[in-house]
Amino acid sequence: MRYALRYLWCLGVFGLGLGTLYWFLSYEVVGAVALWFFGFMPLIVATWWTLRGTDEALSASDDPEARPQDRSGHAVGSFPLVTSWPVFLAMGVIVIGASLVYGLILLPAGAALFVWAIIGLARETPD
Amino acid sequence: MAHAATVGVHGVTAVAEAPIVAEPRRRRPVSWLTTTDHKKIGIAYCVTAFCFFLIGGTLADLMRAELAEPGRQLLTPQTYNGLFTIHGIVMIFLFVAPFGVGFANYLIPLQIGAPDMAFPRLNALSYWFYLGGGTLVLLAGFAAAGGGAKTGWYIYSPLSNLRYSPGVGPDLLILGLALTALATLLSGLNIVTTVFLLRAPGMTMWRLPIFTWNMVITAVLGLVAFPPALAAFVLLLFDRRLGGFAFDPLGGGDPIIYQHLFWFLGHPEVYILILPFFGVITEIIPVFSRKPLFGYTGFVLATLAIGALSVGVWAHHMFTTGVVDNPFFTAMTLTIAVPTGVKFFNWIGSMWGGRIWLAVPMLFSIGFMLNFLIGGVTGVMLASAPIDFSVSDSYFLVSHFHYTMMGGAVFGIFAGIYFWWPKITGYLLSERLGRVVFVFLFVGFNLTFWPQFVVGLRGMPRRIVDYDTNLGWNTPNLVSTIGAGLLTIGVLTFLVDVWTSHRRRTLAGDDPWGGYSLEWATTSPPPERNFASLPRIRSERPAFDLHHPDLQPVAAAEPKANR
Repeated sequence: MRYALRYLWCLGVFGLGLGTLYWFLSYEVVGAVALWFFGFMPLIVATWWTLRGTDEALSASDDPEARPQDRSGHAVGSFPLVTSWPVFLAMGVIVIGASLVYGLILLPAGAALFVWAIIGLARETPD
Repeated sequence: MAHAATVGVHGVTAVAEAPIVAEPRRRRPVSWLTTTDHKKIGIAYCVTAFCFFLIGGTLADLMRAELAEPGRQLLTPQTYNGLFTIHGIVMIFLFVAPFGVGFANYLIPLQIGAPDMAFPRLNALSYWFYLGGGTLVLLAGFAAAGGGAKTGWYIYSPLSNLRYSPGVGPDLLILGLALTALATLLSGLNIVTTVFLLRAPGMTMWRLPIFTWNMVITAVLGLVAFPPALAAFVLLLFDRRLGGFAFDPLGGGDPIIYQHLFWFLGHPEVYILILPFFGVITEIIPVFSRKPLFGYTGFVLATLAIGALSVGVWAHHMFTTGVVDNPFFTAMTLTIAVPTGVKFFNWIGSMWGGRIWLAVPMLFSIGFMLNFLIGGVTGVMLASAPIDFSVSDSYFLVSHFHYTMMGGAVFGIFAGIYFWWPKITGYLLSERLGRVVFVFLFVGFNLTFWPQFVVGLRGMPRRIVDYDTNLGWNTPNLVSTIGAGLLTIGVLTFLVDVWTSHRRRTLAGDDPWGGYSLEWATTSPPPERNFASLPRIRSERPAFDLHHPDLQPVAAAEPKANR
């Protein structure tokens, strides 16, 4: 975990530094803003992660001497076996997009499919 | 509808609480539609991407047939414009990049000792977005009312405006690309979270297999590079359909902003395409040299450097616009060649003094190195703005790009297929047919693209359907078309190999190559949730350590304070 966190901090500092250098060399807005956002994005995650602290159960991943049984009893995660909602959600998004091309008459159908799939996904979430 | 299974690690065994029952044959199509299993999604990605490769390759063959000799043979100029547009987008966004995601989906949980990806349903959603986006791209090219898209793969404005590109083809293309970008974003999120949070005990970041490391960096690049392009695609659609003027100079917009946004994706995208396959051949070369990877830490740092620097080189695609800081982008582009050179040092160092086994995956890896070297060196040439000015938009550029993307990434794909096929299916592909495939692809590839350097330097621009007879372009173009024919034979031979493997079913065993990373410590194919039991992880080569306990390095058995 600590390496992952360090990686995000380094990435953020690099992005901000490169964006600033680029700005003073070129005074070109689009690229500079894109580079600054490239820096901000990992910093947001890194700051949140630093403030929240590290889950003890995950520290076995960073321990070079850890054994598989060191995580015994800890839940690794929740993994649904099957779900049909992603298919409907993707279809909803495609129909919404198609409504921009073929006419807004498709929009209600796309939106309905989208909302139905979102509700379906939310309801099957175990937590 | 939901069948959630919470997986816990009890002792050394990962147990799925929901019962695992073999599904009846008639339910299999439904199980593929509703699956969240990373292995099935990975296979779906790879199969779909390969189908797109066959389509994109057919389009390339049509273009090469047209260019075989001067005069018009098969295609109208408009059809030709449509073919190179869809060929480019299919190969870049629907074949090479998704194939890397497919490998990542299948392999990352296996390589880090996780039961699945961190967000399995998001993973499924990514695949469906990708398939939907790809379908729209094909519709945009071939079945759009009012004509297909003919804008080139980067859909520059104002050419892509409604005024110059009427019909729904460009709209479907933009929509398809936006969906594909969304799929890549979601996959990137999933990959980063999985590797950061679901590694097995003992699998420190500095023990990750190189493929997984490369996929993490690729995923972060995707998360950085795709949002600006997604915004650009949405604005483009806004300009076309909702009366916007974001990129239309007649309404006060600025088309150069589109170029910045597009290339802010476009150049990192090149690394998004190639880094996974750097990872693939880095998994293969040490195994078939019977040595550990030479310079693991240096390799990872070089990949990190490539990832970081690649976001600062986008405007070398815009040298000729005259509105970018050419010295800055020349310097950045030349700098990125250094960590790439380090990788060659690692690969050669890994082979040096090893007992090299020239099996098919190794042949493709060596082919990758040779081809990519030529692509890389010509890339360094193009990084110099004066050279770029003289060969911009010529076949020299086309050839450079294909030497990196096809000679590199596609050879990496075939290397990976031959390497992991036994793990995925449990059966071996034919070594003999595999060598035939390699010879056809290697010879065919170089025959196709080396002459394009020649015609490029002789001034042949890309994207032309015809040319005069007295320009010195005839023979190179004919050779190039013959090479494309050999490439096609190579791909067809590969399909025959797959079919005969399926028929013959020669059992591979769990670890036919003597592999190093964790996926070789489980069965072939792996069970649901991947591992019946996890081995102890004490080095970058846990499967090798498991199978050769007598050869474990002393250092691996001792505590390492800071690794």
